[in-house]
Amino acid sequence: MFYCPFFPPFAEIFATILEYLPVADLLRFARVSRRMQEMVYDDTRWVYRLRLMGVWNETEARKRFEEAMKRRRATMAAAAKAQESALSAATAAAGGDRSSTIFDATEEETRARRPVSDGLDMMAPLKAELPPLQRASLRDPASLLLVLPSVKSVRGFARQEYGRVYGALAPLYFDLAKAKTHTDPVVFRIFRDPEQQARMLAQMRVFALSDTAYGFGERRERLNLMAGIFENAALREFEGGYESGDIDGRMKRYANVLILLNGGQACVQLFVQKHPVTFEREKLGNPMDSFDKPTPGQFSLAPSATFFDRLSKVINEQASVIDRVFPPHVNVMLPFLERVSEDVIAEYITPILEEAHERDTEMYLKAVAGIYTQCINFARTLTPTKGYSADTDLWAQDVRAVVGRVWESHVDLYLSDELEWFRKRGETEVERWEKKILDADAATESFFMSNINREADKRDFLSTFKKVILMPVSVIPSPFARNSVQVLPPKTEAATAAVETSPYAGTTTTMEAASAGTVGPPPTTELAAKAAIMNSRLEGIRSLFSLEVALSLVHNAKESLERAALFARSGGQTGEEAKEQCEAIFIALLQVLGPRHVKAGFDKAVEHLKAYDPRTVTQHNRVAPLVTFLELVNVGDLIQQMIDVFYEQELVAGKLTDRNDFLNPAAKEKKRFEQMLDERVAAGLNMGIDVLMDEVDHIFATTQQPADFNPGVLNGVGGGVGGGGGVGGEAAMVDFDIGPSRTAVQVVEVVSGHTKLLVGSTDKNVLDVFNQEVGVRLFASLCKHIKRQRISVDGAIKLISDMNHYHAYITTLKIKALDAYFNALRELSQIYLIDPGHARQMATVIADPARFGGIFRVEEVYEYATRREDWYRVKKEVERAMYGIGCVVC
Amino acid sequence: MSEIKLLSSDQATITVQKEVAERSILIKNMLEDVGEVTEAIPIPNVNESVLKKVIEWCEHHKGDPPAQADDDSDSRKKSTDIDEWDQKFMQVDQEMLFEIILAANYLDIKPLLDVGCKTVANMIKGKSPDEIRKTFNIQNDFTPEEEEQIRRENEWAEE
Repeated sequence: MFYCPFFPPFAEIFATILEYLPVADLLRFARVSRRMQEMVYDDTRWVYRLRLMGVWNETEARKRFEEAMKRRRATMAAAAKAQESALSAATAAAGGDRSSTIFDATEEETRARRPVSDGLDMMAPLKAELPPLQRASLRDPASLLLVLPSVKSVRGFARQEYGRVYGALAPLYFDLAKAKTHTDPVVFRIFRDPEQQARMLAQMRVFALSDTAYGFGERRERLNLMAGIFENAALREFEGGYESGDIDGRMKRYANVLILLNGGQACVQLFVQKHPVTFEREKLGNPMDSFDKPTPGQFSLAPSATFFDRLSKVINEQASVIDRVFPPHVNVMLPFLERVSEDVIAEYITPILEEAHERDTEMYLKAVAGIYTQCINFARTLTPTKGYSADTDLWAQDVRAVVGRVWESHVDLYLSDELEWFRKRGETEVERWEKKILDADAATESFFMSNINREADKRDFLSTFKKVILMPVSVIPSPFARNSVQVLPPKTEAATAAVETSPYAGTTTTMEAASAGTVGPPPTTELAAKAAIMNSRLEGIRSLFSLEVALSLVHNAKESLERAALFARSGGQTGEEAKEQCEAIFIALLQVLGPRHVKAGFDKAVEHLKAYDPRTVTQHNRVAPLVTFLELVNVGDLIQQMIDVFYEQELVAGKLTDRNDFLNPAAKEKKRFEQMLDERVAAGLNMGIDVLMDEVDHIFATTQQPADFNPGVLNGVGGGVGGGGGVGGEAAMVDFDIGPSRTAVQVVEVVSGHTKLLVGSTDKNVLDVFNQEVGVRLFASLCKHIKRQRISVDGAIKLISDMNHYHAYITTLKIKALDAYFNALRELSQIYLIDPGHARQMATVIADPARFGGIFRVEEVYEYATRREDWYRVKKEVERAMYGIGCVVC
Repeated sequence: MSEIKLLSSDQATITVQKEVAERSILIKNMLEDVGEVTEAIPIPNVNESVLKKVIEWCEHHKGDPPAQADDDSDSRKKSTDIDEWDQKFMQVDQEMLFEIILAANYLDIKPLLDVGCKTVANMIKGKSPDEIRKTFNIQNDFTPEEEEQIRRENEWAEE
């Protein structure tokens, strides 16, 4: 038969054929011809096999290659230099060229003749690095044990490296694959030591990966079977050691054997499964001990604390056993902990929590938080095994994760309960208060005006509030707490204990009772005292909403948040959920506090304002509902600041929410709350201005005497209007008092009294807008008022002093825009002072718009001029001066 | 079931089911590109007898699941064994065997190519270099010393 299969496409096919050949045949095939040898020796084929075993390291190979190249270049450069100098001495440049060609040709020839190293001669320097290739002999079993770890990744020498591995392992491997029983294989006869046997089996497993020749599946199966038998035997030994308590002997030895064989997962499993802690759970504590122990119906954390104490001891003991049996790189502690937390901790806490949940929500919430803290502390008491000694952070993290997993199933229920409970509690509190107020009959509206510096009071109150917020609420006493915060000793201000009747003062006591009384009295004392003082000062608004209720709501929220935040710190999915829940609690707080409590109060106050009718009230110093309302604004502001502090301290500082995330529901709700407050304040102020002006108008109408600005009228009543002119001089004598009229004094008092109330309680901008509005409205009222009066030249002095009085008040408000109005008023009042004889001058004043700063038009001024008592006498003169002679245009 | 015609290198026309012909990735791709064809598709590198043999194989394997696109080293490894029908199918003279392998390569029928390669590998297995040379009619271009050197170099592989 004549057939030459080696035209190009077929060479490619042949390369594929070679893949299916066993190694022995492959190398025999190399001896057929040069072409075949080249194909077989191709480095990639061998790199591929090394790679299948996972011992080829490409970066290492590249590094070696580059180093070799560098060295080669260096030697070549040296050689070239030497050659050059030799040549330049002997021959001409042309001769040098020639010699180099010859050199090339000879090199080609040598290369062709020595195909073994064909194309690889540049790797020559590498050869030195490699141990001489020798058949790893069965006579030297020790060297066989380390054949795989000793493989080097060198380009161009993959075949040799593979050869070493193959030479060492293949005979044993094929022998094993052929063996009928587990006593047959040579490997078990050469190596007597179980450690060595394990190591060889592990190596053979890796080697089997490079076996791609026909029938490899069966061989691999066979190998696995043998390894399985071996593993079982070792495991039995390990178990025997475990049962006889031979920790440092058999256990340690066979753990090592199994780890050498396949990482030792089987014996770790066995070790974890066999530990008595899971079967003797009852000894550590009965979950039901937590209930009804001191007194029926009570829940105590002490039994669970002992439980965790004991468990911690057991586990720490176990840790030392693990350290003795297992090498540090095998993580046994973690699987062990996983099992303990699953079978012991979970089994312990689940009944407790279920029972608590059935009994009472509050008890449940406290139980969850308490036991969770105990759990976390428990995790802290565990000592890391040797494997973790280098990285205790990792240890803490791992342990926390394992323990945290126990809680995963409880957290959801807990968080939703917490929120629900808080919401309900807040609502009932508000409702209770509302009912109380209703019963107490809100009609008796005593208003209470004190001259105390409100601003200072508020600052004082707020700083106390901040202090209290910062203090840890000691809901969770913990015997583990090595670094727990020592609560400060009782405040001296406890002297003000008389006010300690606030409902939240005793909320923390039940829990503290369990903690052996090491914790001080509730830190709320000082706050409670301050709150009470504040409250008594704000008595006037107690029917609208209560600072105390707000405080207690905030306090409840803090308690709930504190508990939920425990979970938020655990991180991961649970942590995220807990954070969300914390925000939800905050939102619930705002919703209860805002719409339910504050808004209702404001609405009521606004209603009162609306209903106010100055005519029905006899005393006119204060507009009672407005005072109440302004106080309300104060308190509202206080609450808002409180919320703000709360938000900053609890949520932002605790990293429970992101302040900068404007989409965050908590931040949004807070904004909405503030907005609601602002809106209410604005609406109330609007109404307040109306009421205030009503009051002012009422004062104008009722107290301004006709004689105030027209002293002559007193005499003129009887003397008739006709003789008015004659009595002027006489009237001037009657009242020569230059001060402002009583009406003006009263009006200014009323207005300033109310505007002052607002100082410090609202935003400066709001205040300015309010004052400006008050000023403008006051101005309008004044204008109307003047138009109702009849003013004589003598009365003008009174009017001017009144106007000066108003003006003086307005300047204290420091609002520029208002000054113009009141200046104009002052100017305006001058026109009444002009003697009737100077009608022409009067006309000039009237027609001079610049004089009034653009506030009054000429027609308006004219209108005011008509209010002169002697108008009909001067009218003609003035009009002539204005329209007749004075006007050039017409 | 539509049928197509194939034209071998020696101008013989063979009618074959489209589904069967599409075992060849070459033909499949071609049909996808061209669409409906009425005249015979020329297969210039394959003669009638080989083509018939290849089609016979395709007939038998038309129900096989299509080869994965990324069948690299792994899928080749998992099918080192040759099934019985294929073994019988490959019992042909050596020239025909190589022709089939080449045709499979040209027509891009990977499973058939693999079967062919395995058959050849089995022929090589256990033979001495001399026997291999004889089988495949390869000329020995080594000197005895060179051959001996290679043998010594690879002593480790001998059992």
